[in-house]
Amino acid sequence: MAETATGRIPGHPRPRPRPRFDSRALTPYWFILPAVAVMAAGLVYPVLDALYLSFFNWKIATPFSKAEHVGLANYVRMLADPDVRESLWVTIRFGFWTITIEMVLGVALALMLEKPIRGASVFRTIFILPLMVSPVVVGLIWRYLFDARVGWINYYLGLWFGIEPQVWLGVPDLAFFAIVLTDIWQWTPFIFIIVIAGLQALPSEVLEASRIDGANWWQQTFLVKLPMIRSILIIALLMRLIDVFRALEVMYIMTGGGPGRATELLSLHIYNRAFDAQLLGYASAIAVLLIVIVFGLSAAILAHGNPMNEKTDV
Amino acid sequence: MNKWTVAAGSMVLAAFGTLLAAGTAAASPYEKYAGSTIVVSWPALSHFRKAETLVQEFTDETGIEVEIDALQYLKLRDRQLLEMSKEEGEYDVVSWVVMWKGEYVSKGLLTPLSQMFTSGALVDPEYDVDDIADAYLQNGGVVGGKKGYMPGKSGGLYGVPFGAETSILAYRMDLLEQAGVAPPTTYDELRAALPVIKDKTGVGALTSRGKTGHQVTAGWLLHLAPLGGKIFDDAWNPVFNNAAGVEAAQIMREITQTGPTGIPSYGFSEASAAFLQGDAAMYIDTLKIAAMSRDPKLSKVDGKVGFALHPVGSRCGSETGGFAVGIPANSQNKEAAFLFIQYITSKAGDRRMVELGGDPVRMSTIAHFADQFAEYPVVLEQLPCADPDWRPLIPEWNELNIDVLGQALTQVITTDEPIQPIMDAAAEKARAIMEREGYYAWTRYRGQ
Repeated sequence: MAETATGRIPGHPRPRPRPRFDSRALTPYWFILPAVAVMAAGLVYPVLDALYLSFFNWKIATPFSKAEHVGLANYVRMLADPDVRESLWVTIRFGFWTITIEMVLGVALALMLEKPIRGASVFRTIFILPLMVSPVVVGLIWRYLFDARVGWINYYLGLWFGIEPQVWLGVPDLAFFAIVLTDIWQWTPFIFIIVIAGLQALPSEVLEASRIDGANWWQQTFLVKLPMIRSILIIALLMRLIDVFRALEVMYIMTGGGPGRATELLSLHIYNRAFDAQLLGYASAIAVLLIVIVFGLSAAILAHGNPMNEKTDV
Repeated sequence: MNKWTVAAGSMVLAAFGTLLAAGTAAASPYEKYAGSTIVVSWPALSHFRKAETLVQEFTDETGIEVEIDALQYLKLRDRQLLEMSKEEGEYDVVSWVVMWKGEYVSKGLLTPLSQMFTSGALVDPEYDVDDIADAYLQNGGVVGGKKGYMPGKSGGLYGVPFGAETSILAYRMDLLEQAGVAPPTTYDELRAALPVIKDKTGVGALTSRGKTGHQVTAGWLLHLAPLGGKIFDDAWNPVFNNAAGVEAAQIMREITQTGPTGIPSYGFSEASAAFLQGDAAMYIDTLKIAAMSRDPKLSKVDGKVGFALHPVGSRCGSETGGFAVGIPANSQNKEAAFLFIQYITSKAGDRRMVELGGDPVRMSTIAHFADQFAEYPVVLEQLPCADPDWRPLIPEWNELNIDVLGQALTQVITTDEPIQPIMDAAAEKARAIMEREGYYAWTRYRGQ
């Protein structure tokens, strides 16, 4: 279609000058407003409240009007507190071991069970059962399994290997091992279920092409399949990382954070400071630290490969 | 109107008046509250489970409905604080571990029971509060006396003991006989007996709480008092790192090494279960172990258990602990709640609790059943030794108990490190907490 020198198409009316403010541009924002409002009420408000509380000394069941404003004192104290550092270190070690092993095991299981072998659906169901159990129940189950006196673990270690009964939940290293194992038992299925969903959604043409090109199983797995589900792996890693920093119930039931602070994750440390010691303001300051750490780690992971960016490109 | 009519009318009126008066006099003191419902918060422990029958009998007799919210005992405090800090709380009766009473009263969360004991319509003249074991009443119910938690003229009554306790020694008669050891009466005898029992029977010598936090501290405190130790001196200086405190910690370490497997992970339930299931020869803790050892659902050792006084060190000093019941300041049914407390802690209620398998709080009940239960004569003899200053029931105790001592003592029983530096470091932490809370302000003021 020919255009005039002015760029106007003959026979078409001159386009009206665009108004400075088009109310229709706001329409999408109206659609997301309810979600934003819910998020603000349910997420942002408590965070801001925790931030506000961290500037006070307040004890539960006393009027907040009597709370003493202490400025940044809680943060100064937190940075110098060896107990906070110890809990943070326990959390980092716990996260490293659990997430590493869960990712490896979850991916391995998914690769084993992605093919339609006999009984695969039964195995898949069995593998995701731990995911369906409430964390409190998980804590109770494993607490009794690890019980030094009547636990099955000591019983069978003695029966099969002649090993003396171990105080699993009363020795720092053993207790740490116990909570790591429990977490792996419960959360490996989460990785498994996400990864197997991703593997089964892979386009068969690509896999077929790689086979025709002569790729063996290792090459197909590590050079084709896993790179293609990279976004899914990053999401799984991110969610587990956030979960590790939120983990509380299982350790609370199994060890209460002990012996000493050997299994006191930062979230449990916050709980103990808030409710045992009644240091609500100080606990809020540590909670703010926790939020900052989780936010920083999440940002670092997403900076290395944000699956949402990849989606935008599509 | 003739005189006969007047006379007949007068007789009718007189008869009606007599009936009315008789009716008023015979009315139940519970009648006014029949149909109301009170909510009770108490622990899910053996004594309280046994009390559920008594609660049903209370409802049948009074028409007052009772809803029970039973929680694991160390979880009660969070829930109760939450409810009692509201304008109108859910709870009408709360049962607290004695160590929380100071905090509850300092925050204005409890109703002074003097408000109820001044009401002639509510108080049963036969209630006889003086019959309640004094150590229990002072320890569980009185706040504001000497040091804020001890008996004293400035104290006020906020609760009545229910499920209160002192400590005694329970031992397996068969195992001690096998080991050739007599029930220890002193701490020297106890320490000597520990390895002997372990070696000769193959069973853990003495079970104990040892889990990090409140539990390990409770286990250590049981030995601190008889060894002559205290947490603070009269000026609130921490003194638990002196010779008595260190010796008590050393005993905890020896108990852990010679006891049933797993003491560092034992709470109250696990420590009791080790004895009741036959994995420990001795138990020094609450007298509740006696009733539990007779319960076939809990015990495999019924008939094999003997009882003796808590061993003495430099003095006799058994624990004062357990529970008391009171009325939240924000309860909407205070009178009905008081009637409930009065009913379950009355002489009849206390005896009924023993029949149901619970523990008494009244001297008359203990004396009444002394020839039926082996531990009761021991308890009667032990109670004068029950130490109301066994632990400082100040509002800060929870933090000291869990965060300071509970950490230090875990280090004691799970390592071989020298004990004195561990206790010294804990004392410094305790001092910092007391400083933060202003306990030394008067000392400084006087010193200027």
